[in-house]
Amino acid sequence: MRRLLRLVLLGALAVWVWRRIVGAREPSERASVAYADGSSIVLEESTAGFARLASIARGALQR
Amino acid sequence: MVASAPMDAAEALAELKELSSQIDRAAIVAADGSLLGSTDDVQATERLVRAGLDLVAAALELDAASEEVIRVDVELREGSVFVVREGGKTITATTGPQPTTGLVVYDLRTCLQRIEEPKPATRRNRRKAADAEEAG
Repeated sequence: MRRLLRLVLLGALAVWVWRRIVGAREPSERASVAYADGSSIVLEESTAGFARLASIARGALQR
Repeated sequence: MVASAPMDAAEALAELKELSSQIDRAAIVAADGSLLGSTDDVQATERLVRAGLDLVAAALELDAASEEVIRVDVELREGSVFVVREGGKTITATTGPQPTTGLVVYDLRTCLQRIEEPKPATRRNRRKAADAEEAG
């Protein structure tokens, strides 16, 4: 029983560490564009085109 | 799939707000740039519509080979902005942080599809309107 409890605790700890690592890596800001010809692009925070789209979007979010 | 009756932009936006709890504000413009409907006051609507059209223009500049943008979504920490274009109409909408992108886009597209095209002024329609005016 104690071994099982220890195993569950270890599993929970592993999941928590994994989620923290993956969560920290995921960009919180991004943009995506889809075109009529079927192509699409995704822009992450650090990419050149993102800053322009983000500044326009921030204007729209202001009330 | 259930076929639903076409409606005007105000009704479609009201239904959109009712069905999608993630959408805060939305505005729809026709192909000629005229406003079809909005959930906001005049000033906020102008800002939202302008942002939508600017996002489409900026998105077009990102890919010189593509001629038409059908969707732009920008997800920021403070919230997200979506622009969806279909059948000549453009809807721009805002949400809170971390929306379910696929669901929001589906709702916006459905909203655009529900909007009835304004009827062109045919000779019969003009005569009907004139008759109605005379009778009234």
